[in-house]
Amino acid sequence: MKIRSRVFGIIAAAALVSTTLTGCSSSNDLIIATDLPLQGSSFDSNDSTNKAIALYLKQQGYTAGTYKVAMKIYDNATAAKGGWDDAQCAANAQAHVANKHEVAVMGTYNSGCAKIIVPILNQDPTGPMAMISDANTNPGLTKAWNPGEPDVYYPTGTRNYGRVCTTDDFQGAAAAQFAQSIGVKSVYVLNDTQTYGQGVGQAFTTEANKLGLKVLSSGVNGEGWDAKQTSYEALFTKIKALKPDMVYIAGIFDNNGGQLMKDKVKVLGDNTKVKVMAPDGFTGYPEFNKMAEAEGVYLSFAGLSTDLLLANNPTGAGAKFVADYKAEYGVDPIGSYPLYGVAAVQVFMAAIAASDGTRAGVQKAIFSGAGITISANDSVLGKEIAIDPATGDTNAIDITIEVVKGGAETTVTAWTLK
Amino acid sequence: MAMSKVKKPVKPAASQRTWAIGFIIAAVVMWTFYTFIMFRLPYQVQTIFQNWLPPTKLNEAMVWVICALGLNIVVGYAGLLDLGFVAFWAIGGYSAGWFMSAFFRQVNWHVFSTVEPTLPGIHISFWGVIFIGGLICAFFGIVIGAPTLRLKSDYLALVTLGFGEIIPQVFTNGENIAGFNMSNGTKGISPVDNIGVPGRALGPFDFSWKFTIFALLTAMMVFISLRLRTGRLGRAWLAIREDELAASMMGVPLMRTKLAAYSVGAFTGGIGGVAFATHVNGVFADRFNFSISIILLAMVVLGGMGNVWGVMVGALVIAWVNSTGLQAMGDLVNTSLHTSINFPSYNFVLFGGVLIFMMLFKREGLIPESRLKAIMHEGDDASANLEGHH
Repeated sequence: MKIRSRVFGIIAAAALVSTTLTGCSSSNDLIIATDLPLQGSSFDSNDSTNKAIALYLKQQGYTAGTYKVAMKIYDNATAAKGGWDDAQCAANAQAHVANKHEVAVMGTYNSGCAKIIVPILNQDPTGPMAMISDANTNPGLTKAWNPGEPDVYYPTGTRNYGRVCTTDDFQGAAAAQFAQSIGVKSVYVLNDTQTYGQGVGQAFTTEANKLGLKVLSSGVNGEGWDAKQTSYEALFTKIKALKPDMVYIAGIFDNNGGQLMKDKVKVLGDNTKVKVMAPDGFTGYPEFNKMAEAEGVYLSFAGLSTDLLLANNPTGAGAKFVADYKAEYGVDPIGSYPLYGVAAVQVFMAAIAASDGTRAGVQKAIFSGAGITISANDSVLGKEIAIDPATGDTNAIDITIEVVKGGAETTVTAWTLK
Repeated sequence: MAMSKVKKPVKPAASQRTWAIGFIIAAVVMWTFYTFIMFRLPYQVQTIFQNWLPPTKLNEAMVWVICALGLNIVVGYAGLLDLGFVAFWAIGGYSAGWFMSAFFRQVNWHVFSTVEPTLPGIHISFWGVIFIGGLICAFFGIVIGAPTLRLKSDYLALVTLGFGEIIPQVFTNGENIAGFNMSNGTKGISPVDNIGVPGRALGPFDFSWKFTIFALLTAMMVFISLRLRTGRLGRAWLAIREDELAASMMGVPLMRTKLAAYSVGAFTGGIGGVAFATHVNGVFADRFNFSISIILLAMVVLGGMGNVWGVMVGALVIAWVNSTGLQAMGDLVNTSLHTSINFPSYNFVLFGGVLIFMMLFKREGLIPESRLKAIMHEGDDASANLEGHH
């Protein structure tokens, strides 16, 4: 008993000392929180986003206008789930509101998590608190999509959520147009049954029907694949009989995408025989790109991929930032979302500079009047970013088409929606 | 401490009273602290509390306690191993999704609801939905119980395991059942209505109110568990747990007693599910996986099977480790030793290790039930082999 209580005493003392030591530095700064899933297979990409934002703030001297700005990292994933967790998202939302130095939230990565956090930040008595996502592509968060959306996410009636990426309705449509341009006549659509997968699958199916492609799957958003299944051979055997030119996989790689691709190649042959196209839920995963079965898969990205940004504007702020990132961390940013994360922070920095340093002030700077515009010269995306104050959507409707070649994502073209 | 007193047992009623007073004091202290003191503290101290014991997580932990108490009735009292308790949590959650949200837009029913009467969907007051959810779960408890009555131990566990797998799958794939959207698939149902209390509806920041409600629900479940245990039904459960054959010979109606255990346990799980849905403000199918059932079982086993207070302590400790504890300890180690170990990813390793050690050295749990402890340690003094006794 005696030994045990002594051990507890030492642990408690250590806890107090170290928490006070680490907590001293930033007591009067305004805080921009990042809220991303940092466990599971999207870790690489999101960790890179956090590092990019940390570097960007350092470059800005942690200053926006007359305010000092710091960053706080939140994780909305749990180990038990290996990805974003509903209870964790709800808890993070409460923590954002409770931390009185926080003025804005950069995130989330998953649209489902945003649907939990946005209404809570919206009802913040000292806010609403602004949130801008680098990666939520589900249309329902900002525009009419499913019944009741988007108003259910804004109980106070004031908008507080924006994004710097494009939405799935554009991405799915662009993918269908691209498929037609490479000679695809018939397509089978699969979705991962989640918010994101179904949204993008629906947009693809709608556009494919409009273009006169033969959609062999039934349903408005294609056929769902069950992420818990251990084999998809039966599914692809069924598809094989229909002889599609292409399989469109609407979903995220985390949902057993690796097994799905293995079984696709096993049953339907490699990706030159029956083509495969997937949305940005399959981008930014080194482990997917390195799979032999991924070779030749077309990917779309709801924005401009990093190499396209660099090619478009090789001397701009974006190119310089990527070079700085490599100098700082020794590697390139993983996937294309890290630059979008920085873009979201650029919007916040401009909003903080234009505000009175309160949550409500930052929210007003973004969602009223003319809103926030980052000029093409300053923007790390190499082009102007303007957040529409009425909806929170960005003016940049960019879609990049990529192909997996030699174990890496390679840009094919930037797609302009017809 | 409690263990050394087993030889001279404290009067059960007195010990229960001590625990109950302890629970009330702890709840009041927590409530006072988070309602009045926390936000007055300096920012750094607040951050420490936000990192180590955020108020939201306290409410979440109480949902775990409620569910663990339900499982304790099935496993701890009646000795029926249940590996699929997550099913009841899920059904309770979806009851909240169905009956207190705008999900069924086809209709427009309002019963003592907090939302505007023009909003479509079924909107029943939280206080009603708690009972509806509990009753639906109790019904399913009987549904699962009835065919398994002739099964014992491993076989029974397998059937409950199947049930726990099937129900979440039904919700995951229930988006289009012959054209009817039952569960909205993996997209889940959100948001759900706010809890109504006299005079107003609780918003997302009414922590103290929600804490009070969750603590009262927990207290109610504790009370029900304790009263049932000392009653006729509870003694029948214990008799079945210790020797089913002997119990039936003594005239305990096996079927009725077992079904009662399943339905009471499921009722509690349903209440936990409804509470959790209001806590998260929605219900999402992919949360309800097998690991939840296992964590609940671990709470019951670690805490002390059959002992309500033990289960409560076990549930609080494990819920805390799971949600904040491990992360906070990991951050502490990483910042002080400049390492970058991802502690939460070792969650289940730690769990497994603790379970093995508990089974080796303290099989009866943290705060054992005196009766179970007596059985497990029967003949210890004579250093006899434990396995031979039952």
